[in-house]
Amino acid sequence: MAGLLLSSSDSGRRANGYAILHLNLFRKEPLVAAIGDIVRFESVGMRYRLGVEVLHDISFSLAAGSFHFLTGPSGAGKSSLMRLMYLAHRPSCGSISVFGRDVSTVPRVELAALRRRIGVVFQDFRLLDHLTALDNVALPLRIAGAKEGQIRDHVAELLRWVGLEEQSDAKPTTLSGGEQQRVAIARAVISRPQILLADEPTGNVDGEIAIRLMYLLEELNKIGTTVVVATHNEALLERFSHPRIRIENGALIEHGHETAFDPDAATI
Amino acid sequence: MMRPPRDLPLSNDPASRYIPWTVGLLVFLATLSLAIGFFLSSAGENWRRSLSGTLTIQVPAGPDQQAFTGSVIDLLSTTPGIDAVRRITDDEVATMLEPWLGDEISTLDLPMPVLIDATVRRGHAIDIEALSTRLMAVAPGTVVDEHAVWLRRLTDLAVIAATVSLSVMVLVLLSAVMTVVFTTRTGLAIHSDIVEVLHLIGAKDSYIARQFQIHTLWLAGIGAACGSVLGGSAILLIEVYGARLSNGLLPDITLSGIQWGLLCLLPVAAVLLVVATVGITVKRVLGRMM
Ligand SMILES: Nc1ncnc2c1ncn2[C@@H]1O[C@H](COP(=O)(O)OP(=O)(O)O)[C@@H](O)[C@H]1O
Ligand SMILES: [Mg+2]
Repeated sequence: MAGLLLSSSDSGRRANGYAILHLNLFRKEPLVAAIGDIVRFESVGMRYRLGVEVLHDISFSLAAGSFHFLTGPSGAGKSSLMRLMYLAHRPSCGSISVFGRDVSTVPRVELAALRRRIGVVFQDFRLLDHLTALDNVALPLRIAGAKEGQIRDHVAELLRWVGLEEQSDAKPTTLSGGEQQRVAIARAVISRPQILLADEPTGNVDGEIAIRLMYLLEELNKIGTTVVVATHNEALLERFSHPRIRIENGALIEHGHETAFDPDAATI
Repeated sequence: MMRPPRDLPLSNDPASRYIPWTVGLLVFLATLSLAIGFFLSSAGENWRRSLSGTLTIQVPAGPDQQAFTGSVIDLLSTTPGIDAVRRITDDEVATMLEPWLGDEISTLDLPMPVLIDATVRRGHAIDIEALSTRLMAVAPGTVVDEHAVWLRRLTDLAVIAATVSLSVMVLVLLSAVMTVVFTTRTGLAIHSDIVEVLHLIGAKDSYIARQFQIHTLWLAGIGAACGSVLGGSAILLIEVYGARLSNGLLPDITLSGIQWGLLCLLPVAAVLLVVATVGITVKRVLGRMM
């Protein structure tokens, strides 16, 4: 099952506030089954209900294992594009394929299965306030039907990885913005997604935490996760050199490619 | 091991607090209307049974009395469901009238009606109104025993009343369904944020629906159990007092074992109906998401 990524023998080494992810965690099956485009948009348009089109004629593809910034001014349509990628919204025209599947033809139950392979760090985290940090992180595993005993171990380990083992029983409302974000990241990666999407992950936290978060995402990328970070934070864009997808007024104006991910480089 | 917490904090919803009360009340009402339906249909059945037996037909005195009597006997003899036809002799009639008219009756030379007894086959229901019409055609003035006609009408009434009370039960269950649809939609609206998160991290519709269903199962279950117990007690009271009051006047007001069994199944069926409704409602609302 996709959810079980941490074996209890694995452990993390602390550095820079986060534990360094022990890369064995992700080695159980190759993350990138087939090298190629993991996400592909073809002439995609999008509108909210009957409103005006907020994205027009968007075409691009993401190589498996790549790391992209999605940039553009506020209101350009970054979050809307992310919504399309995490299968929250249907395009009004064009076609989207994820993991090689055209999402318009995928049956409803399989859409749920595809979503489990996509981890999302929402802009406002969207943690469940009535659940503890631990139960929030456990949610994707529970949804996938994993056994309680395994869930406890995995979640505890992942919370240690993001440096929150002390706060595992805390409710999100009692956590700081940075801590909430780490819970959100732990929840996004616990079911070992092949795609990780983060929408303005630096928006609600200060600069230092944003940098740490980027290291964390890069670490996940190194082991094969395809990462897209939506941001309009210039400092971050300057500091980290990843190809950019830039949109303005709902139109794609730049798509920097990079070389496809090399799976051999990811194993240690 | 500790049970994992619910993904949705439904127990705090104001709307769902009324589910036990609403479902309880509705199950109580449904139990009563079902029981009344049972009472009425057994009453009707008893009356129908007393109808099959003997019919008495009167041919009034008059110049054509003898001819009419012959036609009536012929018609009755050929009517399906009537096994035997017997003319009651004048002596028997005189005996029957003696308490009122004294034993001088035969000397009074009163115009006496001819009475005819028709034995109805067991378990066979005769349409008395139709029979009456046909008898009137061959022998105007012929009267079929009032009592039988009255009982016949009562039987029909019982059937109608039983049908009405069963329809009331169905309507009551339908209103339980509508209440639950409303409560579930409210719950989905209140928690739309959490529902969307669950949906986006890969929960199937059935998973989310189950969260609502488990919640409703408890609330509706408690309500239905209470409503059913109260309804059953009310019926027992009616049985006991009814038997004391009616004193044989009314047919037995008791329910058979099967009928009690059906009354006990009612809350179970109501809860299943409610839980299924919740599932359908949630899935329909979720269907609007991608
Ligand atoms: N839920 C929504 N309903 C209607 N319009 C929306 C909704 N969300 C965003 N929009 C509109 O879509 C456009 C793009 O918004 P968004 O994708 O949030 O941009 P960004 O994330 O780049 O700031 C904006 O004009 C915004 O008003
Ligand atoms: Mg945005």
